[in-house]
Amino acid sequence: MSMSYLVLENINKSFGAKVAVRNLSLEVPRGSIYGVIGPNGAGKTTTIRMIMNITVPDSGRVLIEGRERPADFKNIVGYLPEERGLYKKMTVLEIITYMAALKGFPETRSRKEAVPWLERMNLLEYKDHKVEELSKGMQQKLQFITTILHDPELIILDELFSGLDPLNIELIKSVILDLKARGKTILFSTHVMEQAEKLCDHVCMINRGSKVLDGRMSEVKAAHGTNTIELVVDGDASFVNQLPGVSRLVTYPNYLELQLADGADSNAILQAVASKVSVRRFSIEEPSLYNIFIEVAGVDPDQLASGTGGGAHA
Amino acid sequence: MRKFWIVLKREYAQVVKKKSFIVGLLLTPALMATIVVLPTFLARMKSSETENMAVIDQSRYEVGERFVESLKEYRLEDTTKPYYNVQELYKIDPADTTRFKQAEDSMRTLVSEKKLKYVLVLLPEPQLSDSNLFLITNSDNFTSLNRFEGKLSGILSSIRLEHSDINLSVDSVLELTHNVNLVTQDTKGESIPFTTKYFSALVFVGIMFSMILGYGQLVMRSVIEEKNSRIMEVLISSVSPFQLMCGKIVGLGAATFTQVAIWCVLGMGLFSIKGALDVDPAVARMMFDPVIVIFFVLFLIFGYLLFSTLFALIGSVVTSEKEAQSFVAPISITMILPFILGISVVQDPHSTMATVLSFIPLTAPTMTMMRVAFVAPTLTEISLFSGIVGEATLSLIVVIVSVLGMIWITSKIFRIGILMYGKRPTLPEIIKWIKY
Repeated sequence: MSMSYLVLENINKSFGAKVAVRNLSLEVPRGSIYGVIGPNGAGKTTTIRMIMNITVPDSGRVLIEGRERPADFKNIVGYLPEERGLYKKMTVLEIITYMAALKGFPETRSRKEAVPWLERMNLLEYKDHKVEELSKGMQQKLQFITTILHDPELIILDELFSGLDPLNIELIKSVILDLKARGKTILFSTHVMEQAEKLCDHVCMINRGSKVLDGRMSEVKAAHGTNTIELVVDGDASFVNQLPGVSRLVTYPNYLELQLADGADSNAILQAVASKVSVRRFSIEEPSLYNIFIEVAGVDPDQLASGTGGGAHA
Repeated sequence: MRKFWIVLKREYAQVVKKKSFIVGLLLTPALMATIVVLPTFLARMKSSETENMAVIDQSRYEVGERFVESLKEYRLEDTTKPYYNVQELYKIDPADTTRFKQAEDSMRTLVSEKKLKYVLVLLPEPQLSDSNLFLITNSDNFTSLNRFEGKLSGILSSIRLEHSDINLSVDSVLELTHNVNLVTQDTKGESIPFTTKYFSALVFVGIMFSMILGYGQLVMRSVIEEKNSRIMEVLISSVSPFQLMCGKIVGLGAATFTQVAIWCVLGMGLFSIKGALDVDPAVARMMFDPVIVIFFVLFLIFGYLLFSTLFALIGSVVTSEKEAQSFVAPISITMILPFILGISVVQDPHSTMATVLSFIPLTAPTMTMMRVAFVAPTLTEISLFSGIVGEATLSLIVVIVSVLGMIWITSKIFRIGILMYGKRPTLPEIIKWIKY
């Protein structure tokens, strides 16, 4: 318990008749990367807003190092909301120093410390440009800098990867890993489970306002067995779902993810597949978060999020 | 408190650094100077030229000659030239209608060609009825018309007396019945012309109106911008909504005062250079009257606080500037009331309507300023609790109390309204936020 930096205790929040968050408790260890995952509309943003004290919970407590709403909370936290935005008419450097000043960070320091960040984000040459002259992706990176420049202890990132291209996602990931190495606590939310899987060491899955699972990533995976098979083939493998012992599968033309029923023989599966098509890869894996989510929540997150862009799980 | 200053500094810099601020700084006084100076300038230009006229006289008793003679007393300002030059005096027998018609037609032509300014036509027996004389002119110069009326009244009265049964000399009757020419004086024994008071009052109220409305709306736009750009959530994670709101209002208020202060310094500078501005001493007295200046500053401060807080409230509940405009219009109208009621207020600054409007929060700043500007220069002594100074003080207290109330209500609505996107809250919802 003493290891936890951020603790949520039995949080409830309803908007009218709609329950947004139901009896949610979680513990974010100091110096960890904590992923809150779930489909769109699961209650992630509401949870984060309650941590930020933007929304007040109907009941329950939010504790930072054991204290409720510490006085300096606003200065030690860095927050990137789901809805991004910056002052269009201010220059890049102006906005960085202003946002840092609002966190109690002196301008002389933020001016100096902005330079290496801008360099790392490939924005240095734009430092005197107005925000409105920047591309959407550049604005995202700029806002990320404003979130962390004041060296916050707790970094909260809502829908971290939305609006970023793959190259910038890698860039931001590397920064987050650096921040963790420096002992910062990072909590982020995403509906893109694959991204969370590669980044976080703790995970909390939410569905329809309730926690369905949480814990250390390695423990979560171990608890759900090694009964997943990753299969790459040449040819049509649609017959696989008729094989005995295959309980759930993800199918792309050449790529399949199979989940085996308890006691099923993976060798028998391999033989059956190899007799029909040529197998290029056959490996027994830990289950993906996506599959774990389906298993514990009993629903497909992509179907829940249909039409809202929540389908990138492969 | 530190964060309040940081917000304040940004809001201030955002306005003062803009080109439009400098343009407004220079353009507004230029515009005002034009409005104030131009009419005087034009009026002076007019009187520098002798006005040509003619008289057609069908009367007996030499009314035409006596009228022409009486006009000789009028001289152009600072010259020995006559004000009026009677080019022709036609004496026509009442029976000779052809010649009269001819003369009248040719004179009308000359007036329409602007060769003559006035043609006085005296029909037979002008002393019997006003319908027996008229003036042909295309100009409505009040000064000249008044003079002609005065002179003709005298001449025709004396003719009537000569033919009446009154057993007195004409001169003594005229002496007994001459018209009173009333000169107004205030209680200080000096006189500030009505128009000077009126226009000075309009200038004070005009500055107040445009500053409060202009910068108040900037507060609203600034809130709407932060809502629409979605930056609000980040701001609220750094500063409290109350700090943000106050920083905005005070920061933009400081910009307002910068603008007014620069105008004052510029004005004083020009004023102190002798001859640079030919300021009427009456205007100068209005502009430097301590009561007016003190109330102007106080009403500008608290009027601004009242309206900008109201605008912050509107900005926090609407979703777009377009939506906000429907709220701005009624607010502008309440502020502009003293202009709309203008003349009736200054003619009787103590009327019930003017007094009542001075104690309604939204109309109080401009209405009271109008009344103070009009009445204050005539005060012999400043006594705090009587007359206009007392009423203005009370009105100021009403405004200050409303400011505090407005800040309280707005801070409650603001913190929730700023995070509401997409849909405008209903009135019952807003009332719930106040209680919350």
